[in-house]
Amino acid sequence: MVLEYLANGLVFSSIIVLGSIGLSLVYSIADFANFAHGDTMTVGAYAALVTFGAVGGLGGAVLGLPYGFFLALLVGIAAAAVVAVATEKLVYESIDTDSIGLLITSIGIAFIYRAVIQIRFGADFTRFGVGTLRPIEWLIPYGIRVTQHDVAIVVSAVVLVTGLHVLLQYTDLGRKMRAMADNPDLARVSGIRTRRVTLWMWVIGAGLAGAGGVFLGLFNQLSPRMGFNLLLVIFAAVILGGIGSVYGAMLGGFLIGMINQMMPLVSDLTDALPLVPSVGIEYANAVAFLIMVAVLLVRPNGIAGEAT
Amino acid sequence: MRLLDDPAGYWADLTTAEKGVLAVSLAFAAFLFVALLTGRLGASYFMFLVGLAGMYGLLSFGLNAQWGFTGLINFSVAAFFGVGAYGTALMTADSSPVAGGFSPVAGLATALVVALVLALLIGIPTLRLRADYLAIASLGLAEVVRLVVLNERQWTNGSAGLRGIPGFFDGWPVLGTFPEAMPGLRIEVIPGSPVLLETPFWQSALNVLLVVTFAAVAYLVLRRAHRSPWGRVLRTIRSDEDLARALGKNTYSFKMQSFVLGSLIMALAGVFYAHLNLYVGPGDLDPITTFYVWVAVILGGSGSNRGALFGGIVVVAIREGTRFMGDLPIAVDAAPLRLLLIGLLIVVVMRFRPQGILPPQRELIWPSAVEDERAPQRPESGVRERKDGDSDE
Repeated sequence: MVLEYLANGLVFSSIIVLGSIGLSLVYSIADFANFAHGDTMTVGAYAALVTFGAVGGLGGAVLGLPYGFFLALLVGIAAAAVVAVATEKLVYESIDTDSIGLLITSIGIAFIYRAVIQIRFGADFTRFGVGTLRPIEWLIPYGIRVTQHDVAIVVSAVVLVTGLHVLLQYTDLGRKMRAMADNPDLARVSGIRTRRVTLWMWVIGAGLAGAGGVFLGLFNQLSPRMGFNLLLVIFAAVILGGIGSVYGAMLGGFLIGMINQMMPLVSDLTDALPLVPSVGIEYANAVAFLIMVAVLLVRPNGIAGEAT
Repeated sequence: MRLLDDPAGYWADLTTAEKGVLAVSLAFAAFLFVALLTGRLGASYFMFLVGLAGMYGLLSFGLNAQWGFTGLINFSVAAFFGVGAYGTALMTADSSPVAGGFSPVAGLATALVVALVLALLIGIPTLRLRADYLAIASLGLAEVVRLVVLNERQWTNGSAGLRGIPGFFDGWPVLGTFPEAMPGLRIEVIPGSPVLLETPFWQSALNVLLVVTFAAVAYLVLRRAHRSPWGRVLRTIRSDEDLARALGKNTYSFKMQSFVLGSLIMALAGVFYAHLNLYVGPGDLDPITTFYVWVAVILGGSGSNRGALFGGIVVVAIREGTRFMGDLPIAVDAAPLRLLLIGLLIVVVMRFRPQGILPPQRELIWPSAVEDERAPQRPESGVRERKDGDSDE
């Protein structure tokens, strides 16, 4: 049973990590809490849904997913990135306000994304037309029931996160982004074109969010509210890891995703312990939020940020 | 009243924004009045709308006391609204699993006590946080409250909600039977489309009376508080918390007071809602309510109570107006359209008028201070010249 929860936790964590990296990048480089990030994930998911519907399977398949799905994944990533860059150009760049003003604006942006998707696709749940798979046979004796799709999600997430790591550590752009996250004014006087770096930051952050949205749609289902519902969980991950730290966000995303899927164990534990009110699995998100508030109180810089 | 003695002078004294708001409000009121007379708008539905506008006004007052006065980003408005509604519903409703059958006044008291406790529970940990962390933490805690209400069936009936809530005035000496006692009136201004004023209308009129009472009390208290020394400390905290602390103010305590005050007003709105709708469910704690109220406050002008009321009316117009969009040739669902309008409104206000339509200006000045003829009505050419005398120390 524990192995099963661990496996599911790994899959869910992959999705949360993809979302939390982008949120953390925006928080550190554009310096505001982006409430539209969850809905950027929804944009990616629905763009992939449309593409997959249009191109179909394209012949062969990897890990139970047709080639067409991977094309749709790329389109979803691109769509989320394009939408985010357009929003930055049209809205955020022209607004002259502090980080609180941008936070409030981003709520409006989130509603606009969600409303447009809901007008086009309706409020109902949908699924990608890839069919559900049986769990992988040879893992069942170990008590693990995961499908090939789950494996695909984890593998793709690892590829994307590794790519981001290489980008941040070994390329010019990555160094510029880290410099900007550290001290935007210093980065600017050192001759870094901060505008351009900000745009790349949106491309990367929103692109990863779009991928996370596609995988979330594959893991559960798609609905216009899917991203907004996940937003607070992602915030919890970012805050747990330490705002502004990309690697912290990865760690935080991993932990929050694990805790979320391990809730049955937590639930059994609270049942067994005397004097502790029993907490059912329906409180999975509530536990994440309480962890978030506790982290904010005890260690506002998170587990990866430097202590003050 | 200046308005009655000298309407032209009153008009000339207003700022451009105030003129615009007044004109739009009058035009909107005239539009509703015509719709009422021609029978396109039922009289009791009209009174329901007025009640709803009052409720959003009340919620906006509450948020204004937190965000407008003190600068607290509270994203848990829906939780306080819901707790107020559930507090009174659990005491009064037939189907209540806890108590039930008490008078609505007991419900009101319970709701306020529960909201007070919740405000302390949320406020104690979060009010020390930086502004943007407070936003995220309060939204998270509001979700926790919603999940508890949804899942603790033995206390709240869970997703089924609570039915059989009595009207607020049921069982009162005169007001309890007022709607039935009033005669059914039939006013026919335009031939063929009579306006019917029957029991439902009088019922809604009572509700409007209730919300107007709540809102008037809240408005007067807030206006007095905002101009008082206490309100000045809050405004100082909003613009520079370190400064307030340097002046020896316990900012945490002041923030807590303003948070509790605002939360109690939001709970009042919840009490009204429970007795208006006669049903409450976990859906009433949906975070969208929080954002509706935020739109009302930033649109009206953060810190301005008049603005909050105006914003509340605009939000109700969007919320209820979109219901009729189905009649238009382009059929769009009401729910996403409402969301789209609210989203666009937020972006447009933040882009073009971040201070809101009616930012607080003269609201903060005691009337006696400007009535003195010798006092300058407006600084003639900026404040710098008059300060010249004492600036060369």
